[in-house]
Amino acid sequence: MAGITTHVLDADRGRPAPGVRIDFSVMEDGAWRHVKSVVTNADGRTDAPILPGTEAKIGQYQLEFHIDAYLKGKPGVTETDIFVDNPVVRFSVADVKQHYHVPMLCTPGNCTTYRGS
Amino acid sequence: MDRQALTRRSLVGVGLGGAAMAAAPGVLAQANPPPADPARPGTLTTAPVSQAGLGPRLTLHAIDNFHGTPGAGMVCDLSIREGDTYRPIKTVTTAANGRTPEPLLSEDAMRVGHYELLLHFEEYFARTGASLPSPNFLGLVPVRFVIRDASQRYHLPVLFTPWGYSYYRGS
Repeated sequence: MAGITTHVLDADRGRPAPGVRIDFSVMEDGAWRHVKSVVTNADGRTDAPILPGTEAKIGQYQLEFHIDAYLKGKPGVTETDIFVDNPVVRFSVADVKQHYHVPMLCTPGNCTTYRGS
Repeated sequence: MDRQALTRRSLVGVGLGGAAMAAAPGVLAQANPPPADPARPGTLTTAPVSQAGLGPRLTLHAIDNFHGTPGAGMVCDLSIREGDTYRPIKTVTTAANGRTPEPLLSEDAMRVGHYELLLHFEEYFARTGASLPSPNFLGLVPVRFVIRDASQRYHLPVLFTPWGYSYYRGS
Protein backbone atom coordinates (compact mmCIF):
# COMPACT_ATOMS: atom_id res chain seq x y z
CA MET A 1 0.00 0.00 0.00
CA ALA A 2 1.19 3.49 -0.79
CA GLY A 3 -0.28 6.92 -0.24
CA ILE A 4 -0.85 8.89 2.95
CA THR A 5 -2.81 7.92 6.06
CA THR A 6 -3.05 9.29 9.57
CA HIS A 7 -4.29 8.43 13.03
CA VAL A 8 -5.14 10.87 15.80
CA LEU A 9 -4.60 9.57 19.28
CA ASP A 10 -5.55 11.13 22.58
CA ALA A 11 -2.32 10.31 24.40
CA ASP A 12 -3.75 11.66 27.65
CA ARG A 13 -6.29 8.86 27.71
CA GLY A 14 -4.62 6.29 25.50
CA ARG A 15 -7.59 6.28 23.19
CA PRO A 16 -8.42 7.26 19.63
CA ALA A 17 -9.50 10.87 19.14
CA PRO A 18 -12.73 10.91 17.15
CA GLY A 19 -14.29 13.93 15.47
CA VAL A 20 -11.01 15.77 14.80
CA ARG A 21 -11.03 17.80 11.61
CA ILE A 22 -7.93 17.46 9.45
CA ASP A 23 -7.13 19.84 6.59
CA PHE A 24 -5.00 18.27 3.89
CA SER A 25 -2.97 20.49 1.57
CA VAL A 26 -0.34 20.07 -1.09
CA MET A 27 2.46 22.43 -2.07
CA GLU A 28 1.95 23.71 -5.59
CA ASP A 29 3.91 26.51 -7.23
CA GLY A 30 5.26 27.70 -3.90
CA ALA A 31 1.91 27.85 -2.09
CA TRP A 32 -0.22 25.43 -0.09
CA ARG A 33 -3.34 24.35 -1.95
CA HIS A 34 -6.11 22.95 0.23
CA VAL A 35 -7.16 19.58 -1.14
CA LYS A 36 -9.78 18.42 1.32
CA SER A 37 -10.91 18.34 4.92
CA VAL A 38 -11.79 15.12 6.66
CA VAL A 39 -12.91 14.16 10.16
CA THR A 40 -11.57 11.27 12.20
CA ASN A 41 -13.91 8.37 12.89
CA ALA A 42 -14.44 6.50 16.15
CA ASP A 43 -11.07 4.78 15.66
CA GLY A 44 -9.26 8.11 15.27
CA ARG A 45 -8.61 7.31 11.62
CA THR A 46 -10.16 8.56 8.42
CA ASP A 47 -12.65 6.36 6.56
CA ALA A 48 -10.60 6.67 3.38
CA PRO A 49 -6.87 7.29 2.97
CA ILE A 50 -5.88 10.94 3.10
CA LEU A 51 -4.22 10.36 -0.27
CA PRO A 52 -4.76 7.09 -2.16
CA GLY A 53 -1.62 5.43 -3.43
CA THR A 54 -2.78 5.84 -7.01
CA GLU A 55 -2.71 9.62 -6.58
CA ALA A 56 0.60 9.88 -4.72
CA LYS A 57 3.20 12.18 -6.23
CA ILE A 58 6.60 13.25 -5.05
CA GLY A 59 6.12 16.52 -3.25
CA GLN A 60 5.37 18.35 -0.04
CA TYR A 61 2.18 17.80 1.90
CA GLN A 62 0.55 19.32 4.94
CA LEU A 63 -1.84 18.03 7.57
CA GLU A 64 -3.43 20.50 9.96
CA PHE A 65 -4.99 18.81 12.96
CA HIS A 66 -7.80 20.78 14.61
CA ILE A 67 -7.25 19.31 18.03
CA ASP A 68 -8.22 22.50 19.84
CA ALA A 69 -11.95 21.86 19.55
CA TYR A 70 -11.43 18.24 20.56
CA LEU A 71 -9.35 19.12 23.61
CA LYS A 72 -11.80 21.80 24.78
CA GLY A 73 -14.54 19.19 24.71
CA LYS A 74 -12.72 16.85 27.07
CA PRO A 75 -14.03 16.66 30.61
CA GLY A 76 -11.63 18.26 33.06
CA VAL A 77 -9.75 20.29 30.43
CA THR A 78 -9.97 24.05 30.50
CA GLU A 79 -8.66 26.37 27.84
CA THR A 80 -5.82 27.49 30.08
CA ASP A 81 -4.46 23.94 30.02
CA ILE A 82 -4.05 23.94 26.25
CA PHE A 83 -0.50 24.83 25.18
CA VAL A 84 -0.38 23.05 21.83
CA ASP A 85 -2.00 25.07 19.06
CA ASN A 86 -3.62 23.17 16.20
CA PRO A 87 -0.52 21.34 15.00
CA VAL A 88 0.53 21.56 11.38
CA VAL A 89 2.67 18.73 10.07
CA ARG A 90 4.57 19.36 6.83
CA PHE A 91 6.37 16.47 5.21
CA SER A 92 7.72 15.28 1.90
CA VAL A 93 6.88 12.18 -0.08
CA ALA A 94 10.14 11.16 -1.73
CA ASP A 95 9.05 7.75 -3.08
CA VAL A 96 5.50 7.17 -4.33
CA LYS A 97 5.84 3.42 -3.97
CA GLN A 98 6.17 3.77 -0.21
CA HIS A 99 3.41 4.30 2.29
CA TYR A 100 3.43 7.39 4.48
CA HIS A 101 1.58 6.99 7.75
CA VAL A 102 1.70 10.21 9.75
CA PRO A 103 0.08 9.85 13.19
CA MET A 104 -0.66 12.68 15.59
CA LEU A 105 -0.49 11.99 19.32
CA CYS A 106 -1.85 14.83 21.35
CA THR A 107 -2.58 16.04 24.85
CA PRO A 108 -3.28 19.61 25.97
CA GLY A 109 0.41 20.18 26.70
CA ASN A 110 2.17 17.95 24.17
CA CYS A 111 2.03 16.67 20.65
CA THR A 112 4.07 14.11 18.76
CA THR A 113 4.23 13.06 15.15
CA TYR A 114 6.47 10.69 13.23
CA ARG A 115 6.66 8.55 10.17
CA GLY A 116 4.74 5.52 11.29
CA SER A 117 3.71 2.30 9.61
CA MET B 1 33.51 27.37 9.88
CA ASP B 2 32.89 29.16 13.13
CA ARG B 3 29.49 29.59 14.67
CA GLN B 4 29.24 33.27 13.90
CA ALA B 5 29.87 32.62 10.24
CA LEU B 6 27.22 29.94 10.17
CA THR B 7 24.77 32.10 12.06
CA ARG B 8 25.31 35.04 9.79
CA ARG B 9 24.90 33.01 6.64
CA SER B 10 21.79 31.31 7.95
CA LEU B 11 20.21 34.55 9.05
CA VAL B 12 20.94 36.37 5.84
CA GLY B 13 19.36 33.45 4.07
CA VAL B 14 16.01 34.17 5.66
CA GLY B 15 16.28 37.92 5.28
CA LEU B 16 16.33 38.70 8.98
CA GLY B 17 20.06 38.89 9.52
CA GLY B 18 20.28 42.44 10.74
CA ALA B 19 17.57 42.32 13.36
CA ALA B 20 18.51 38.92 14.69
CA MET B 21 22.23 39.64 14.84
CA ALA B 22 21.51 42.85 16.69
CA ALA B 23 19.58 40.85 19.25
CA ALA B 24 22.30 38.25 19.70
CA PRO B 25 25.10 39.86 21.70
CA GLY B 26 24.36 37.36 24.46
CA VAL B 27 26.09 34.69 22.41
CA LEU B 28 29.40 35.89 23.73
CA ALA B 29 28.16 36.99 27.13
CA GLN B 30 26.73 33.63 28.16
CA ALA B 31 28.25 32.35 31.37
CA ASN B 32 30.63 29.44 30.79
CA PRO B 33 29.54 28.79 27.22
CA PRO B 34 30.19 25.22 26.17
CA PRO B 35 32.50 24.82 23.19
CA ALA B 36 30.48 25.30 20.04
CA ASP B 37 30.98 23.34 16.87
CA PRO B 38 27.94 23.77 14.67
CA ALA B 39 29.39 21.37 12.13
CA ARG B 40 28.41 18.50 14.42
CA PRO B 41 25.69 17.86 16.96
CA GLY B 42 26.43 19.18 20.41
CA THR B 43 28.05 16.97 22.95
CA LEU B 44 26.66 16.09 26.35
CA THR B 45 28.97 18.16 28.47
CA THR B 46 26.31 20.34 30.03
CA ALA B 47 24.10 19.72 33.03
CA PRO B 48 20.34 20.32 33.02
CA VAL B 49 19.32 23.91 33.64
CA SER B 50 16.60 24.72 36.14
CA GLN B 51 14.62 27.84 35.43
CA ALA B 52 12.52 27.67 38.56
CA GLY B 53 11.81 31.09 40.00
CA LEU B 54 12.79 33.06 36.92
CA GLY B 55 10.52 35.72 35.48
CA PRO B 56 8.21 35.54 32.48
CA ARG B 57 10.00 34.22 29.42
CA LEU B 58 9.80 31.85 26.51
CA THR B 59 12.73 29.47 26.24
CA LEU B 60 13.58 26.70 23.81
CA HIS B 61 15.52 23.48 24.14
CA ALA B 62 16.18 21.51 20.98
CA ILE B 63 17.12 17.89 21.63
CA ASP B 64 18.42 15.66 18.86
CA ASN B 65 17.07 12.19 19.59
CA PHE B 66 18.73 10.86 16.43
CA HIS B 67 22.26 11.50 17.68
CA GLY B 68 21.40 11.55 21.39
CA THR B 69 22.78 15.06 21.77
CA PRO B 70 21.61 18.64 22.18
CA GLY B 71 20.34 20.07 18.91
CA ALA B 72 23.16 22.55 18.28
CA GLY B 73 23.05 25.04 15.44
CA MET B 74 19.34 24.63 14.70
CA VAL B 75 18.01 27.72 12.92
CA CYS B 76 14.56 28.70 14.21
CA ASP B 77 12.21 31.44 13.00
CA LEU B 78 9.78 32.74 15.65
CA SER B 79 6.58 34.42 14.53
CA ILE B 80 3.22 35.40 15.98
CA ARG B 81 -0.17 34.99 14.36
CA GLU B 82 -1.88 38.16 13.24
CA GLY B 83 -5.15 37.47 11.48
CA ASP B 84 -4.53 34.70 8.96
CA THR B 85 -0.78 35.13 8.73
CA TYR B 86 2.27 34.83 10.95
CA ARG B 87 4.40 37.91 11.46
CA PRO B 88 8.12 37.18 11.87
CA ILE B 89 9.61 38.28 15.20
CA LYS B 90 13.16 36.97 15.10
CA THR B 91 15.43 34.24 13.85
CA VAL B 92 17.73 32.48 16.28
CA THR B 93 20.25 29.65 16.18
CA THR B 94 20.61 27.21 19.06
CA ALA B 95 23.94 27.08 20.86
CA ALA B 96 25.97 23.95 21.60
CA ASN B 97 23.66 23.08 24.50
CA GLY B 98 20.57 23.11 22.25
CA ARG B 99 19.25 26.27 23.90
CA THR B 100 19.31 29.81 22.63
CA PRO B 101 21.77 32.20 24.28
CA GLU B 102 18.90 34.49 25.25
CA PRO B 103 15.23 33.63 25.81
CA LEU B 104 13.12 33.77 22.66
CA LEU B 105 10.95 36.27 24.52
CA SER B 106 11.32 37.75 27.95
CA GLU B 107 9.65 40.17 30.33
CA ASP B 108 8.09 43.02 28.34
CA ALA B 109 8.34 41.14 25.05
CA MET B 110 6.03 38.41 26.34
CA ARG B 111 2.65 38.72 24.67
CA VAL B 112 -0.43 36.57 24.80
CA GLY B 113 -0.86 35.01 21.39
CA HIS B 114 -0.55 32.14 18.98
CA TYR B 115 3.06 31.50 18.02
CA GLU B 116 4.93 29.49 15.46
CA LEU B 117 8.54 28.40 15.70
CA LEU B 118 9.79 27.16 12.33
CA LEU B 119 12.71 24.76 12.77
CA HIS B 120 15.11 24.14 9.89
CA PHE B 121 15.38 20.34 10.20
CA GLU B 122 16.66 19.51 6.74
CA GLU B 123 19.52 21.98 6.95
CA TYR B 124 20.37 20.68 10.42
CA PHE B 125 20.57 17.05 9.40
CA ALA B 126 22.36 17.82 6.13
CA ARG B 127 25.04 19.56 8.18
CA THR B 128 25.32 16.74 10.68
CA GLY B 129 25.96 14.22 7.94
CA ALA B 130 22.84 12.08 8.34
CA SER B 131 22.10 9.93 5.30
CA LEU B 132 18.55 10.82 4.31
CA PRO B 133 16.30 10.85 1.27
CA SER B 134 15.98 14.02 -0.74
CA PRO B 135 13.76 15.78 -0.05
CA ASN B 136 13.84 14.61 3.54
CA PHE B 137 10.57 13.58 5.21
CA LEU B 138 10.80 16.67 7.42
CA GLY B 139 12.24 19.92 6.08
CA LEU B 140 10.94 23.10 7.67
CA VAL B 141 8.95 22.08 10.73
CA PRO B 142 6.34 24.41 12.24
CA VAL B 143 5.84 24.15 15.99
CA ARG B 144 2.68 25.96 17.01
CA PHE B 145 1.75 26.84 20.56
CA VAL B 146 -0.20 29.35 22.60
CA ILE B 147 0.95 31.75 25.27
CA ARG B 148 -2.19 32.44 27.29
CA ASP B 149 -0.65 34.25 30.25
CA ALA B 150 2.25 36.62 29.59
CA SER B 151 3.14 36.69 33.28
CA GLN B 152 4.15 33.02 33.25
CA ARG B 153 7.32 31.26 32.20
CA TYR B 154 7.04 29.03 29.13
CA HIS B 155 9.64 26.42 28.29
CA LEU B 156 9.41 24.72 24.91
CA PRO B 157 11.43 21.54 24.52
CA VAL B 158 11.47 20.06 21.02
CA LEU B 159 12.64 16.45 20.74
CA PHE B 160 13.39 15.51 17.16
CA THR B 161 14.78 13.03 14.68
CA PRO B 162 14.70 13.18 10.87
CA TRP B 163 11.49 11.13 11.07
CA GLY B 164 9.49 12.72 13.82
CA TYR B 165 9.30 15.20 16.61
CA SER B 166 7.55 15.97 19.85
CA TYR B 167 7.10 19.21 21.67
CA TYR B 168 5.48 20.14 24.94
CA ARG B 169 5.18 22.74 27.60
CA GLY B 170 8.16 22.06 29.81
CA SER B 171 9.36 23.70 32.98
